[in-house]
This record gives sequence, structure tokens and C-alpha cells, in this order.
Amino acid sequence: MKQFFNKRLDSKNAREKFLEKEMATFQHELPTEEELTVPEVNLSSASLRAGAFHMGKYCEHQNNEFMLCRQELQDPRKCLAEGRAVTACALEFFRKVKKSCYAEFTQYTNCLDKSSGDLHFKHCRNTQNVLDKCMLDNLGIERPEYGYFCRAKIHHTDRPAPAPRPKKVYEDATPGLPDDYPRPPAKFGSRLHYMM
Amino acid sequence: MVTPKTQDLPPPGGYQKIPFMRVPAKTLFNGFQIIGAYIGITTFAVYIYHLTNKQIQREEVEMRSARLALMPMLIAERDREFLKQVRKNRDEEARLMKNIPGWVVGTYYGEPIYKTKPVDHFDDNSLSWDDLCVHSDYRTQMIRQNFHLWN
Repeated sequence: MKQFFNKRLDSKNAREKFLEKEMATFQHELPTEEELTVPEVNLSSASLRAGAFHMGKYCEHQNNEFMLCRQELQDPRKCLAEGRAVTACALEFFRKVKKSCYAEFTQYTNCLDKSSGDLHFKHCRNTQNVLDKCMLDNLGIERPEYGYFCRAKIHHTDRPAPAPRPKKVYEDATPGLPDDYPRPPAKFGSRLHYMM
Repeated sequence: MVTPKTQDLPPPGGYQKIPFMRVPAKTLFNGFQIIGAYIGITTFAVYIYHLTNKQIQREEVEMRSARLALMPMLIAERDREFLKQVRKNRDEEARLMKNIPGWVVGTYYGEPIYKTKPVDHFDDNSLSWDDLCVHSDYRTQMIRQNFHLWN
């Protein structure tokens, strides 16, 4: 063991150890550059926050699909199609907003941007109401109640669920007693006599 | 000439009275009233505090809700950028180490990181920030890493 340890310490300097952690080999299937290049939502934080609630409602299905996939598979490579759908939906939403509620949206964004450092909603209720009304009238999207996206939701999907992780079987595990081994009551009672 | 001696006597009408009696302050409230007022004011303050607290909690939930609504879009975008960078890193490593005999890209001379994981195993937890920036220069990495401090 000691020899093994010394050998490893001798043979690797810090830089090599650092490189050792890097992990994508040519056996990994990585998507190509073209597959990963899609039109992104090119908006500022204030605009995103201004549209967050309505966008979340508009793209709810796509968002839930993507997040479920991401949660279940834990692999960014396997949820690319869902991710593209999410971005496409967000883009579509913001294009619609630009077409029908541009002035209200810009006003609200401006208010959010200039009222506080953390783009808080509480300073901009008036402009928010104006935007909500426009969204409801023109796009038919009602603003969800304030905690809507914090609630757990049930999402029905066509994608089959991944198989549960198989239980590990160790070759050198200590063999246990058979199930039908006699189990007489303890000779001297329980150590936790005051509890059981 | 002899001045007649005069005795030192009190002024006519006598000395002023010495005010030795206690002058108590005017009592506006008695004890029960004060304790009652304390309890009343405290109860009212607790009620106002409760209302404010509820409002603050509500606003926090609203902000969190907005963040969660945007999260899928941001994660999708991040995933694509991440995978692009992983590919770039892999190609760069292959180019960098092509003259080293026995070097296998992504491993240490063919020795994989995980022995029990499948070869194709990949998740975003297994690649740290330092791994992602391994081929960039230190200054670029630090600028990106400390970007949030400039906000």
C-alpha cells in the first residue's frame, strides 16, 4: 500500500493531477456544435424578470418536460431536444409580447430595472397591473398567483421513466443468517427496557 | 461715642418655613393602567409585525417563483454552452497531447477516473469549474469567476 502511494505521489505533479480529473473521452458521445447552436433568448435580466410569470405559464408544459427529464436522467446530453423546445417556446412568447404589448412590457422592465438593485417586484405594482391587463386582453395569459412556480406539480409525459438503479451486490459481503433461522426472545430483555 | 449693641434677631414676621414635606409627582395612571397599556400596545405591535412578516414572506416567495419560472430556459441554455465547452476541451487536449505516447484523452495514460461507472457515464456533477476552464488562461477564468462580484 505504501509503495503504491509513493509511486502515485512521485509520478504525478500537481498539473498532471489536475488534468486527471478532466473526463470527456472519445468514448463519450458529445453532441456536435451545430446541434447545440440554436437561437438563444437574447434579453436582459430585467426583461426576463418582467416576463417571467407569463412566460412560465405560457411554456409550462415544455418547462416541466425539460425539468423532469433533467431531474430523472441527470445528463445534459439526453435532454437537448427538450431544452431546445424550452428555448423556442420562450422566444415565441417574447416575440408575441413584442408584437402586442411592447410599450407596457418596456415600461414595466424599465421600472424593475431602475427601482431596485435586485429587480424586486414590490416597487412596480402599477406598471405590473398595466402589463397584466394587456397580457390578458391580447395574449389571453393570466398572471399566475405569486407562489405558482414554487408549488410541486404533477407532469404527465410520454417519455418512459428510467429504470430504477439496481441494488448493488457485493461478492465478498458477509453471508447473513437464513430467514427461517430461529429467533427466540432475548435472554436478558432489551437494553432499551424503558422504551420497549 | 458709644453705639448701642443690637441683638441679631429674626426678621419681622419670622423666618420662611423650611419646605421639608415630600412633593409627589402627579399620578396620571395607576399601576394596573400602565400594565394594561403595555399589554395592549405590545399585542398591537405583534399584530403589525405579523402582518409585515407575512407580506415579506409573500414577496420572497414571489421572487423565488419568478426565478424558478425562468430556470428551465436558463438551464437549457447553460447545458448547450457547457457541452460546447466540453467538446472544445476534449479536442484541445487531443491536440495538445498528440505527441505523448500512451496518452488517452480524458484519462491518465488510459487509467479512467471511475472504475465502477460505465464508460459513457457523464453528468454535470463530475466536471468541476476548474476542469471546464483547464485550457483557458488564469486571468480569463478569474474574470468569469468573479463576474458576479461586480454586479
